[in-house]
Amino acid sequence: MVQSIVLSGVAVGCIYALIGITYNVMFSASRVFSFTAGTLGMLGGVLGSLFMARMGLPVLVGLILALAGGALLGIATEIVAVRPVLRSLDQHLYVLSTLALALMVQQFTAIEWGTDARPFPRLFDVASRNFDQRFWLPMLACVVVIVGLELLYRHSLVGRAFLAIAEDTYAARALGLPERSLRMASYALAGIIGTLAGFAGGELLLAFFGNAPMLTFYGFVPVALGGMGNNRGAVIAGLLLGLFQQAANFLVGGIFASVAVFGVFIIVLLARPEGLAGAAAQRRV
Amino acid sequence: MTLTRRQALKSAGAAVVASSLAKPAIAAKDPIPIGYLPALTGPSSSTGIGINRGILLAVKEINDAGGIDGRPLELITRDTQSDPTKAVNGAAELTRGQNVSVVFGPVNSGESLAVVPLLARTNTPQVHPCWVDTLTDAQKYPMCFRNAPTNQQIGGAANRYVVEVLTRKKVAVISDTTGYGTASVNAYVPMLKAKGAEVVYQGNVDAANPDLKPELLRMQSAGAEAIMPWSVNAGFLSRIINTRGDMGWDVPIVGQTTLGSGQTKALLEKPEYWAKVYPNNFRPVCYAPGGKLPDRTTEFLGRLKSANIDMGDTLLWWIALGYDSPRMIAQAMKAVGTEPAKLVGYLNTLKGFPGVYGDIAFSPEKHDGYPDEEVVMVEANSLKDGAFNLAPGYNA
Repeated sequence: MVQSIVLSGVAVGCIYALIGITYNVMFSASRVFSFTAGTLGMLGGVLGSLFMARMGLPVLVGLILALAGGALLGIATEIVAVRPVLRSLDQHLYVLSTLALALMVQQFTAIEWGTDARPFPRLFDVASRNFDQRFWLPMLACVVVIVGLELLYRHSLVGRAFLAIAEDTYAARALGLPERSLRMASYALAGIIGTLAGFAGGELLLAFFGNAPMLTFYGFVPVALGGMGNNRGAVIAGLLLGLFQQAANFLVGGIFASVAVFGVFIIVLLARPEGLAGAAAQRRV
Repeated sequence: MTLTRRQALKSAGAAVVASSLAKPAIAAKDPIPIGYLPALTGPSSSTGIGINRGILLAVKEINDAGGIDGRPLELITRDTQSDPTKAVNGAAELTRGQNVSVVFGPVNSGESLAVVPLLARTNTPQVHPCWVDTLTDAQKYPMCFRNAPTNQQIGGAANRYVVEVLTRKKVAVISDTTGYGTASVNAYVPMLKAKGAEVVYQGNVDAANPDLKPELLRMQSAGAEAIMPWSVNAGFLSRIINTRGDMGWDVPIVGQTTLGSGQTKALLEKPEYWAKVYPNNFRPVCYAPGGKLPDRTTEFLGRLKSANIDMGDTLLWWIALGYDSPRMIAQAMKAVGTEPAKLVGYLNTLKGFPGVYGDIAFSPEKHDGYPDEEVVMVEANSLKDGAFNLAPGYNA
């Protein structure tokens, strides 16, 4: 039983963590929480199933095409839902614009793909009873993204430019950095990460349009708990969320598990509004 | 030229006579509007799409045969998108804007719970196939009729099968968190207990939950000898079947008809996981132990094939139910016309309407028309042409 809690809890937690990172990458570049993050996760499963199961393409081609689709949606999010409202961030119009875009994509998927869950193909033809690929694939994707982002941010010029924008947009622009292009690149990167979450978790979540609101919701919890824009915090909080959720499923079961998860979420935020790993915001007086 | 008062009165009188004579001639050819509220999109659409195929075929056949005394039936369709709010909007538009004679649908209980009281207030005759018990009440909703079983009939058949045929006494009852799911669990658990079974697990689980192993382990550790899931969500049901298979747990799964749908089958990790899964179904659309369908159903299947109606992704009973509904309404209209009160009067005394899905009968006190004995359990993995073999234990 403990093994089952840990396996599925960590796997689901990795998916939540990746969606949390998707939120963070978009937030760092624009100070906007884009609610298309869960939709990107849903699209990872749907596009993967479309390319591999329905069109019969090889896994690698299916993966690349799905990630390209996610990158395109990321760029579209920046152009359609974020850029027009950047000047009035204090009014939080992005909540409406990004949520509207997410709903449009979700409904379009429902119309074109169908409203029933569809199978996501097994990526590797290996059978393992205890440590199946549907559990380790999200974990692998999470590790790849964490290592990839570390390398990008610490060891590449583009990555440092991303960090510069995240740190201070005006200063970065004053230094001559192409702020708009970098923001679009960040959104494309977020699109890839979000889609990868859904693709790697496809065998667990299935190709289902209804995954979008679930991922949008549960993917935001690691962001809130881990601290806004804090990827390490998102990973730790995502894993804790997955483990706690599965443990609650075992212990109390049914809808009470969701109540337990959000009960703890509210208590943690009451105790530490800045999140477990976040720093308290300083206020000019 | 001057017009005298007498001439003007004559002209006006002639115009009135002419217009009153012309009306029946036009009305005789006017289509009869039938309101139709299917869920063609949204999470409950698999049922709606299947029913829709039968409805369209029946309406085409009725109209090809001359309609109702020369007047064709016209389906005024409003897709509810599996959303009760949209179903209410559709019903309001059908009754106020389109002035339909009768409404068929909605085709799922959540929507009907919202629509039935609305149609009752507008005195519109309604026929629906939804299972929630409270959706018919001859006193409260005198114009509403159900040409399908109630939840009590569905649950009763499944409970009888588990307790009396499979002789399992410790039962786990699980559902999703929809209105249908929670209402089913609340209704069936007391019925099971009344039959002497012990409900060792009872739960409502979010259908989007990606891993149901915790729930099944809780059932197993509680000593469950049968799992009874109540949901129309194929993803949720397939997760239960797959998890049971992965756990290597040899326990029967007995419950909702969607357990045997093509969508559920498509989501199974291994075909053999579908063994020992027994969904509800209906005897007239099932293969008897000799592998034979009733004659009426065999003839209907042939008609579906010649009309090129796709059976691969749906169930025969959904299409049969859809097919029977407009035929029953047309029979009533042929007998008494389209006046709401007369239609209701006719349906109140309907005896043994010969449907493919089942023989329907109503009385002024009982608007639930489906017979108890036709609700049965079947073998999910025997699906062929949208129909199933009766589960072990039933006679021909």
